[in-house]
Amino acid sequence: MSAAVWRERLGVEGLVEERPGEWVVRAELSELPALADRAAGSGLRLASLFGTDEGEGRTAVHHLWACAEPPGFVRVWAVVPAGAGFPSISARHPAANWFEREVMDAFGPVPAGHPNPNHVSLHDDWPEGAFELRKDFDERRVVPRVGGQYRAYRPVTGEGVFHIPVGPVHAGIIEPGHFRFGVAGEPVLYLQLRLFYVHKGIEKRFERLPWRHGLFLAESISGDTAVGHALAWVHAIERLAGVEPPPRARHLRVALLELERVYNHVADVGAIATDVAFTVPASRAQAIREDLVRSHERLFGSRLLRGTIAAGGVKCDLTLRSRKELMAQLARLGRDFKDLVSLLIDSGTFTDRVDGTGVLETQVARELGVVGVAARASGLDLDLRRDQPHDAYRGLRFEVPVEEVGDVRARLMVRAREVEQSLSLLAQVLDALPDGALLSPLPDALPAEASALGWAEGWRGECLHWVRTDARGGIDRVKVTDPSSRNWPALVRAVPGNIVPDFPVINKSFNLSYAGNDR
Amino acid sequence: MNLVDSFGLGLLQAAVLLALAPLLRGTIKKLKAAFQNRQGPPLLQGYYDLAKLLGKEPVRSDVSSWVFVAGPRVYFATAVAATTLVPVIVAGAPLEEAGGILVLVGLLALGRFFLAAAALDTGSPFGGMGSSREMAVSALAEPALMLGLFTVALWGGSLNLGDLVRTTAARGLSAHPSDLLAAAALFIVLIAEAGRVPVDNPATHLELTMIHEAMVLEYSGADLALVEWASALKELLFMTVLVNLFLPLGLATGVGAAALAIATGLYLAKLFLLSVGVTLVEVTNAKLRLFRVPELMSASLGLAFLALALRFL
Repeated sequence: MSAAVWRERLGVEGLVEERPGEWVVRAELSELPALADRAAGSGLRLASLFGTDEGEGRTAVHHLWACAEPPGFVRVWAVVPAGAGFPSISARHPAANWFEREVMDAFGPVPAGHPNPNHVSLHDDWPEGAFELRKDFDERRVVPRVGGQYRAYRPVTGEGVFHIPVGPVHAGIIEPGHFRFGVAGEPVLYLQLRLFYVHKGIEKRFERLPWRHGLFLAESISGDTAVGHALAWVHAIERLAGVEPPPRARHLRVALLELERVYNHVADVGAIATDVAFTVPASRAQAIREDLVRSHERLFGSRLLRGTIAAGGVKCDLTLRSRKELMAQLARLGRDFKDLVSLLIDSGTFTDRVDGTGVLETQVARELGVVGVAARASGLDLDLRRDQPHDAYRGLRFEVPVEEVGDVRARLMVRAREVEQSLSLLAQVLDALPDGALLSPLPDALPAEASALGWAEGWRGECLHWVRTDARGGIDRVKVTDPSSRNWPALVRAVPGNIVPDFPVINKSFNLSYAGNDR
Repeated sequence: MNLVDSFGLGLLQAAVLLALAPLLRGTIKKLKAAFQNRQGPPLLQGYYDLAKLLGKEPVRSDVSSWVFVAGPRVYFATAVAATTLVPVIVAGAPLEEAGGILVLVGLLALGRFFLAAAALDTGSPFGGMGSSREMAVSALAEPALMLGLFTVALWGGSLNLGDLVRTTAARGLSAHPSDLLAAAALFIVLIAEAGRVPVDNPATHLELTMIHEAMVLEYSGADLALVEWASALKELLFMTVLVNLFLPLGLATGVGAAALAIATGLYLAKLFLLSVGVTLVEVTNAKLRLFRVPELMSASLGLAFLALALRFL
């Protein structure tokens, strides 16, 4: 039924429903831009764009679109002949910008008509013609580094206008990334980013792993999103294997994902206070987070909830007594956190720093395909838990907080309100946990030459894993889409017009992962 | 007193204050940590840091000139020289005949000028950013400091800090609105000069938000030790001026052992009280947006001006 809807909306014949909520159509390469326009015109949003190796030097380009009504994802793909380029959609759909350049960097085909067809993931010392995601690239071989001039940054000219280079090594203990500010005194004219300093070839690594081991890699993609990425991975595997986890497991997964959201949001609220030197609330937030992650260790054996999710279910359980304990602790946490938030927003010097700082406008956020907290703070009402529900979310009551202004305060308030919702979700789940098994049995092998998408709304935003199997049922290709890679380009748009000393707090209000982006 | 004696006394006072300065910073850090339910670094951490830094070779950029080397030395020397003009526990300063308020402010300005010039010397963008920020703040802090001190000078009829302390000590505690306003103005100057929240954040790791720290980012080893030590001394100096001008209780007028002991105890107690005040300001405020700092400094200037005007009413 819904396949017919999509055939009509997109005007394509061959579209089929591959699995529930996943529609796929193969198109001609030249049709891709027109199809992208039609998809965007019928309310779809670009969720990911990636390449696959089709053998004999051919590459396929896949456009993945998300839709709330009917809920699911539409994948449009086309094959690029060996040695050819592919038509770029970035000029009309800026959300595709980094994705298309990543396809170029990892597979070779050049996006024709791209407004800025430069490397994004490859640094200047990477040799030409080495494409890491092609099947003929051996990742165990050491790639020789090449010398040469570093790619120039956009120059600045004018009286008193200059560059401030920051990073990749920073003064604090944070991940590496290079920021290049063009400034006139204190006001920032523009910001350029250079990331991918911690590119580890995770997508390539998946291809060499037995599919049952992929989970360990998935939960290491970004240390603070262990549950989010683990869920996206197991969802893809379960959809491939045709396995549905038992109800108790699906509810426990909700609890784990919400606990991850709570500890990260609390830490972020404290980090925003740290960045404006508001020390008392900052250390209170740290204490609240620490209490919670200690309980994680006691209850699940891991402070950051690693090793809790399994393909087909979960690896941990909660007894009635530990549920009661956890609920009591979460009730305390809710009160402490509420006090903390009012301590912040009742302080004039604090609100003066966060109000109107680092505004990301709704229109810009929509164009760039921003997701998660940052999207909801800029007036985009998106949340996979509600729009494309996974695990037990369909049966639970919760709201999706949305703020309109898009400044640091809005991102702070979205976090604060989401913590309330998460606590309510946790109360619902812990109060009425269905009895039964924790794991559904998995088949011995995955179906050959099949593909499936797994998704989860992590605390930072949507985590997507697209998994394709080869002729023997092993992993052929995994595309990991981390919310950070969707949101980094938005930071570039939120900073200009602000002053240099406000950058750290703007950056912190997005709190994007370098590891997740660089993979 | 002859010149040799007062010179010796001046050196002694400078040495004692230099020895005390890191402890003051340690105390404020401890107090601040207590407000956050943290343990904080040891009280003596400042001394450990200085010892560590002094034992390390400074790394200097190839492209920097003699200005970069001179910066910390001039900054340190001016701060030490300034301490000899300030009465600490005795109602009189060792080298008070050498100069008064104007020399004190001038010495501190000279040190700051050299540090800012040195920060520009390496050509690193952070140095330039720090220098421009520091100068913007001090352009407003300096007049406020002068006006605040002039208010007291008008009362005492002298620009000499020794004379002033003797007059205020003889007069006793004053709740004259003019004194209160001048004290408030100088307190704000203290916050700014010491690089404390809400003007600057001495504990930050965020190089983009720093004022004073951005300026000295290029320094290392013994050079950095000099800067840190001089900054701590400057903070102690401001606090000493503040407590001795506005709370002139128990300053020793003679050289009796008992009087000196009481004066020392009271001085330390007053410093502690003022440190608690500084800490309270630090923990109850977020750092101001950089472009709001001039507003705070203008408020200080306004207070100082009012204080001065009230003298003539």
